[in-house]
Amino acid sequence: MRVKKMLAAGMAVTMAASVALSGCSSSAKSGAEATSAGSNTESSSSAGESKAESEVKKPEKITIMVNGTVMTKQNNRDAFEKRWEELTGIDLEITQPDHDAYFDVLGQTFASGPENWPDAIILAGSFYTGYAEEGALWDMTQAWENSELKSSGRFTGEDVVDNMKIDGKLYGFPVTRGNGCVTYVKKKWLDNCGLSVPTTYDEYLNMLKAFTEGDPDGNGINGDTYGLSAAGFIGSEEPWTNYLPEFYQDAYPSFAKGEDGVWYDGFTKDNFKDALQRMRDAYAAGYIDKETLTNGTKDCRNKFYEDKFGVFTYWAGTWGSNLKNNLESNGHDSELIPIKPIKEVGNYVERTSPVWAITSSCENPEGVFKYLIESMLDGGDMEMLWSYGVEDVHWSKKAETVLDKTYNEGQFHLRESLEIPGTQYTKQHLDPMLAIATWEGDPGKDSVKEEAKNSQTVFNENCRQATITPSTEEMATYNGDLMTLKKSIIADVVVQGTSIEEAFKRFESDGGSKWSQMIVDSMNKKESAK
Amino acid sequence: MNKKMKGPAAYAAGENKRPLLVSLRYYRGFYLMFLPVLIFALVFHYIPMLGIRYAFYSYKGIKEPVFIGLAHFEKMLNMPGFWSAFGNTITLSIVKLLLNTIMAVVLSLMLNELRSVTFKKIAQTIVYLPHFMSWVVTASVFALILSPTSAGLLNAVLSKFGIVNEGIYFLGSQSWWRPMFYVINVWKDTGWGTIIFIATLSGINPELYEAASMDGAGRFNRLRFITMPALNNTIITVLILNLAKVMNLFESVFVLQNDAVSRQADVLQTYIYTQTFNSGALPDYGYSTAVGLVSSLVGCFLVLVCNKASYKVRGRGIV
Repeated sequence: MRVKKMLAAGMAVTMAASVALSGCSSSAKSGAEATSAGSNTESSSSAGESKAESEVKKPEKITIMVNGTVMTKQNNRDAFEKRWEELTGIDLEITQPDHDAYFDVLGQTFASGPENWPDAIILAGSFYTGYAEEGALWDMTQAWENSELKSSGRFTGEDVVDNMKIDGKLYGFPVTRGNGCVTYVKKKWLDNCGLSVPTTYDEYLNMLKAFTEGDPDGNGINGDTYGLSAAGFIGSEEPWTNYLPEFYQDAYPSFAKGEDGVWYDGFTKDNFKDALQRMRDAYAAGYIDKETLTNGTKDCRNKFYEDKFGVFTYWAGTWGSNLKNNLESNGHDSELIPIKPIKEVGNYVERTSPVWAITSSCENPEGVFKYLIESMLDGGDMEMLWSYGVEDVHWSKKAETVLDKTYNEGQFHLRESLEIPGTQYTKQHLDPMLAIATWEGDPGKDSVKEEAKNSQTVFNENCRQATITPSTEEMATYNGDLMTLKKSIIADVVVQGTSIEEAFKRFESDGGSKWSQMIVDSMNKKESAK
Repeated sequence: MNKKMKGPAAYAAGENKRPLLVSLRYYRGFYLMFLPVLIFALVFHYIPMLGIRYAFYSYKGIKEPVFIGLAHFEKMLNMPGFWSAFGNTITLSIVKLLLNTIMAVVLSLMLNELRSVTFKKIAQTIVYLPHFMSWVVTASVFALILSPTSAGLLNAVLSKFGIVNEGIYFLGSQSWWRPMFYVINVWKDTGWGTIIFIATLSGINPELYEAASMDGAGRFNRLRFITMPALNNTIITVLILNLAKVMNLFESVFVLQNDAVSRQADVLQTYIYTQTFNSGALPDYGYSTAVGLVSSLVGCFLVLVCNKASYKVRGRGIV
């Protein structure tokens, strides 16, 4: 009895402490919020005043939080930091969580209060729109409009920057294009089947049929290969149709903006049912890898290297070269053709670029924009540093042998990777092939492999940019469940063979239509409120 | 004349009016040793519980949380995804728990019957090993074994014996996914689960068996009347302790599930994950906290019910 009384008393004390501490925490947060709001207002007004570049005060210190796309510790980030500080005379403090945990750590940092926010961060996709709409990011529109880079005549990525504007305001700067996936076809397989590069869906399907039923690898056995593989029937992020563009064609499983400026849910349109039918037919015929549902991207790559299938829609640029090298090292013919999008696809989709954003708690955002972000594309030492790293650490012009290649004195070359010995660096944070500003003195442009350049050119010349999706309360509330339902329905139709009518009845009965409409309404309401 | 008693002895005799303080002073050495554990529990288990309050707030991690009362719970109750995940959590966890426990008991009894000490040790080591494999590795291994293509071991065997013409997509099939999930779990955790039962079995007095044999009891009757009663307490204790964890099912499901089986596989923890990372917008941590809170309360309820049942059946509980 006494023990129970003590237990009850203990619980009461714990609850009281909980309430008290919640209160303390709450008031502490309020203080932080006030600070944030204050700095936000200050920042906005300073942006509104559109300071001329010459008036921008040079920061003494800049703090950044970045993911693994910036040079990591294993790659001698210290040398990078030292060189950056030499070039600017500014103290740079880098926080770099594990790449996979980046957005978790970033979220925790923001939750800990504006006093702990770094000056600049890297953001992508929904995090960009979400953070901007929560008021956590500085509006850099004016800083960009007044920048030397914009007026330099070297800048070619106006469309990329415009695409990142939210309600006409720029909260994050894309330092490269977003890139996307292009369809690679094994040339030897095409030749063995007596086919040419497909330009229409019928030709594409015919190619898949030949790769599945014939003997495209020339091993004397019919039917031991298949057409294509993918990591799922729908991607894990926007643009969702990345890995199977030929089947989706003009259909889109999520929210898109029509030419009339009205948002709609592509999943509910008739053309999406057609896309499902195409995927189901191809899967049932065995043209698509039976394990597509459970494949990861690594599984697909490995199967491609093992010559199990012949068509692979994967990232353009450096990956074009990686795929070729791995086929070669597996003893298979490595010539790949990055094909232009077939007629029904029209264009490949370029994902929205990751951006560099300045937080609203930054004390000198104009300074951070100029000395950190804008300077990355200066066409000089700083662009060199962000693109290739530090001289004699990551690249060199000395006469030397790197892996199996020998370079002469004065010849620019990248060195062996510190993080992955046995491989050579291809780039650092900035990929010159995705550059949005011309760089005449780029010493590495000749070292880019032909196949990488080729796939990137095919993609760049045949892509359209994905639009950023605005974040609304309804989206935050229902889209998690909605996407789960959509993915489940796609899998039901393609793998389980459920009829399309039955699947869409389920979409209706499980609340999908209702959630979809609520989200679409909220997006259009937001659009019309602009 | 009675000598006045002091300390707990006095408390026992009902003479002391401040037993707690006296007791604290008397056992101060023990309390001192207990202090680090208490501090650890407070810092890492109880203080984080303050986050429970976010279940009643809308909170995206940037602006100040906004109190919204029970709105998250209202939304939760109206979402089919939540109920599906709730049902799956209970079903998958309970079946897995029962299967794992039964298999662990059976395996323990079999291991206990082994007479060669060397062979017994080798067998024990082999059955413990899967427990040390990460779930990611386990999922990869079984994805290979269960592959619907000719590379899949199971389908190759079934095909060889003419049982199937076309490979079964075990992990992509709505009817096969759950049985496979249970099999994989049994494979991974049964061996580890035997440790506690083998320890109990080795504590049974051999004289009981000898006496039973002399009375004419065969192997089955010795098992029925000596071994199983001795194991009962351990089985119930293990079951109740594991019941506390049934709502925490995550990793094994996360690495094995896919879009085709979300209705059969999605559990509360994976539901929380989806809500947090798959919404296409900044997640509302308040909602995830609300789902987590319900999950914890259900887990707590299950333990208390089981403990109560234990009282009824055995006359004592374990909590």
